[in-house]
Amino acid sequence: MTTVALLGNPNTGKTTLFNELTDKYAYVGNWTGVTVEKKVGQIRHSHTEVIDLPGVYSLNPITKDESVVTNYLLGNSPDLILNVTNASQLKRNLLLSVEVLELGVPVIITLNMIDDLKRSGHYYNLDTLSSKLGCPVRTTNARNKEGLTELRADLVCEQSEIKPNSPLKLNYPMMVNQAIRQAADSLTKDYKIDAKFAHWIAIQYINHNKVVRKYATIHQLKPLLSQKAYYDAQKFEDQIFETRLSFIENTLTTATEQLQSTKHVALTSKIDKVVTHPILGLPIFVGIFYLMFKLSFDWIGTPLSGYLDGFLSGPVSTWANQFLTQVGALPMLRSLIVNGLIAGVGGVLVFIPQIFVLFACITILEDSGYMSRAALVTDRIMEMIGLNGKAFIPLIIGFGCNVTGIMAARTIEQPKERLITTLISPFMSCSARLPIYSLFVAALFPRHQALIVLSLYFLGIVVALLMAKVYHIIFQAEEHSVFIVELPQYHIPRLDIVWHGTWDKGKGFIKKAGTIIFAGTVLIWLLSNFGVSGYVTQIDQSFAANLGQILLPIFKPMGISTWQPISALLTGVLAKEVISSSMMVLFHTSNQGALIAMIGGSFTTLSAYALLVFILLYIPCFATIGTIKSETGSAKWAAYSVVSGLVISYTLAFLIFQIGSLLM
Amino acid sequence: MGLLINIFVLALIFGFAGYQIYRAVKRSKQGKCAACDYDCEAKKMLNQSKKHPV
Repeated sequence: MTTVALLGNPNTGKTTLFNELTDKYAYVGNWTGVTVEKKVGQIRHSHTEVIDLPGVYSLNPITKDESVVTNYLLGNSPDLILNVTNASQLKRNLLLSVEVLELGVPVIITLNMIDDLKRSGHYYNLDTLSSKLGCPVRTTNARNKEGLTELRADLVCEQSEIKPNSPLKLNYPMMVNQAIRQAADSLTKDYKIDAKFAHWIAIQYINHNKVVRKYATIHQLKPLLSQKAYYDAQKFEDQIFETRLSFIENTLTTATEQLQSTKHVALTSKIDKVVTHPILGLPIFVGIFYLMFKLSFDWIGTPLSGYLDGFLSGPVSTWANQFLTQVGALPMLRSLIVNGLIAGVGGVLVFIPQIFVLFACITILEDSGYMSRAALVTDRIMEMIGLNGKAFIPLIIGFGCNVTGIMAARTIEQPKERLITTLISPFMSCSARLPIYSLFVAALFPRHQALIVLSLYFLGIVVALLMAKVYHIIFQAEEHSVFIVELPQYHIPRLDIVWHGTWDKGKGFIKKAGTIIFAGTVLIWLLSNFGVSGYVTQIDQSFAANLGQILLPIFKPMGISTWQPISALLTGVLAKEVISSSMMVLFHTSNQGALIAMIGGSFTTLSAYALLVFILLYIPCFATIGTIKSETGSAKWAAYSVVSGLVISYTLAFLIFQIGSLLM
Repeated sequence: MGLLINIFVLALIFGFAGYQIYRAVKRSKQGKCAACDYDCEAKKMLNQSKKHPV
């Protein structure tokens, strides 16, 4: 089995390449930090295994996830390294390539996104690059599969066929060279370390690589440890960087060729002038989200959802009822299946169109390259709060699911900032809350559905940012993470990537319908059909009613006058979608239309909005609470997020209803 | 449909629902990967290594 490690800067298209080459499909996004852990796949019909490593700018890690790559190189020796670079950003990309080439493992460099480079009117002479760098150089365009057949042929070969590479030797200043040589010689002689590896490890150690320094301490590599103070005092690190940079500049100047046609004006920079404009940037960002909700709720999602509901609550429900009566099912079983499962689980499944349209929109934004601009635009606001644009990425991912959002916070290097981002993530409106928004906006705000949902999403962001500011002051977080975002060229989104991305995000919802939503619906059916006296026919005597009525006085100040939504809220902790299915069961309705009419009768616009705000911000679901606990390493933070969510949501919902009542 | 079959179907539904709730609570206690619905490569590798410890 031949092992190929895929390595490169963030957002150079490694994962797209990985997906094209192997039999696996991994999540891709046209922005930084999508690959957090390494992934393994096999090239189809071959014995070549490909390992996709997270994107890094250098082997000297800054963040937690970046150390994955250096640790991998320290502990494993791949047969071949495929260094994926962004052809338009070669100067910066080669800084990493040089470090890898110094290792002496066979390397193939591919200039990916070669089309973008051509559009800018430049090209590189591949032979010149190859002879200067001492390894084969290829060009690819992973998105439209250009150059992949050739690359695949390079990778699918037996271990014995791979030509060995001698390590790249740069002309470091004399003192540095001497230090490297001395250390490498002693490591080879005294510790029996392979000469190439010893040379590389010496350079990395001198270059202040934290992971390598830790490695040297663990293995007690005395030739390095004893000289540490000397290396640092002489500032060898700066000299190494300067030598590398001037080597790269020199190589690129020699290899650059001008293309004849420079007619193609970079459309990207034209678009960027508008969308990242200091004043216009933010309204455009809001506008794009508004458009997304218009598509999801008003134009495509809701009409489709209506048809689906008609089908489930009409023919399916009637047929199931008739069938169960015919086969002699007990009334209790019939009620469980028809009024419980079909009405409840089906009641959530009818929101598939809205959710999938929204996910498709988010995937299009990711794949087109706009998300990086959004991070840049929000960076200015985040800066005022003390966070930076980097925190925006986990927050946006949190729109899909808070759990993945919190996991994405790992890319933030400062522990305090990471904790703050984790704590505010549950305030982002995840997709599981969409069904309940949908029901209420259809009932009480039929003409302004998109606007109301947009306001809830932004209220979530505002609360998250305000809380971030508060935490920032309390934690006295002074250190700041560095936010570097690469603005990739815009792409026309590719249909298969959009479909894959949408399906990837949406399949979790369908899976949940068969598992936790199903379970939640059965639970609420039980609670609403049983009471202290056993099986009840009057729902008012059920446990659900008792529980709701006990809590009703607490919810009265925020405008709730019936017990049903309160009982539904309790089941929402299992998964937020369950609130919708519970409402369906508790209001004893079999179709969406009837429930909407029922909600319309029980709520005013003001109390409905207050309830939606409460739903947006109250207790996170089980999965999120668990993730907070494991990512912060403490049950206290998980408990805190539950309590703070309740306090904030109640206060806001209370204020909205009370102040609103005074004004109206 | 006999009474027994009725009871059996009811037990099946309740049993499955109970198991799902139990699983959700257990998964959320494990946190991170387990609680997340994405079945990514890293997670598959993790699950595999749990099944066949080296």
